[in-house]
Amino acid sequence: MCDSCGCGIGDEAVTFTKHGDHHHHGEGHTHTHADGTTHTHNHDHSHSHDHSHDRTITIEQDILGENGLLAQRNRGYFEARNVYTINLVSSPGSGKTTLLEKTLTEVKDIPFAVIEGDQQTMNDADRVAATGAPVLQINTGNGCHLDADMIHTAYTKLKLKENSVLFIENVGNLVCPALFDLGENKRVVIISVTEGDDKPAKYPTMFDTADICIINKIDLLPYVEFDVQKCKDYALQVNHHLEFFELSATSGEGMAAWYTWLRENIKK
Amino acid sequence: MHEMSIAMSIVDIACKEAQKDGATAITTIELDVGKLAGIMVDSLNFCYDSVCKGTLAENSQLVINEIAGKGHCIKCDTEFEIDNFMALCPNCESYEVEIQQGRELKLKAVTVNE
Repeated sequence: MCDSCGCGIGDEAVTFTKHGDHHHHGEGHTHTHADGTTHTHNHDHSHSHDHSHDRTITIEQDILGENGLLAQRNRGYFEARNVYTINLVSSPGSGKTTLLEKTLTEVKDIPFAVIEGDQQTMNDADRVAATGAPVLQINTGNGCHLDADMIHTAYTKLKLKENSVLFIENVGNLVCPALFDLGENKRVVIISVTEGDDKPAKYPTMFDTADICIINKIDLLPYVEFDVQKCKDYALQVNHHLEFFELSATSGEGMAAWYTWLRENIKK
Repeated sequence: MHEMSIAMSIVDIACKEAQKDGATAITTIELDVGKLAGIMVDSLNFCYDSVCKGTLAENSQLVINEIAGKGHCIKCDTEFEIDNFMALCPNCESYEVEIQQGRELKLKAVTVNE
């Protein structure tokens, strides 16, 4: 289709000639647009000749299918080793790493491992390593999300223990990681009260794909205009299955419920 | 911008299928993209041309069929069209809606040239 006016005469046909065997003849035609402007330009008509061999192959394939397959492979590996995997997603700065540091420091009865995802730096891996947990940093360069293949490479290098919990801290981004299954058991979206309480409405895809929503930094509630109930309402409108935790990874308030959930879910 | 990696997957799948078929060039790639798939069609189009460069799909056309969203209310069983995730049932005003259609992200067909 002509991308100037949608007239149905193919601009792209020009490119077929490079490889194909049918000829082109530039032929002018005139359009009149809705606003009354008229223009004439040359197009090549792609019309069938005896020697033309355009044909359509039906594919019907999920574009993210390959990632989906790799994610299932990861899931099988985790299941066989009884590794409970949690994919942490959020905007940058909502406290994913602090939540991890606190959890790894305070929950000593569960063996943890961590995969860190950031575009650049080892900073988060260094913070996690200080807690004593095995950690591997993935730097995605310009990439905006982790994918199942990256996770496969990462856990192969990490050598996961059986009966453990693997945290994957995704790249701080509330949009792109939503589409990429990593093979996790649960996806946890974190929102902090220093962000807008309408974030679930603004970035619904991420909240739609999450199982758990953690509202972090609640120790700052007296200083910010964040309506916890409003945020939860928005999130539930997007995904009525969501389960919530309200906590502050810094002050420790509300962390006990999160630890209880963690311990109970691993047993399942 | 995940549309770049989506575009790469699309061109990758299309080129593999075209090669299997012995084709020398791809002229059109056709997709089904649901309105709730989390894809910005404009950015996908933007990424597409640069991803196609140097492949069998160079200068090919991307045709996107946008698939409307469909919701099903768990409370009252009503089915209705939705265009976002915060879908409110028009009958009973519940937000307990399951999405039945609109998350599609599928490569439908490739038109090739020998």
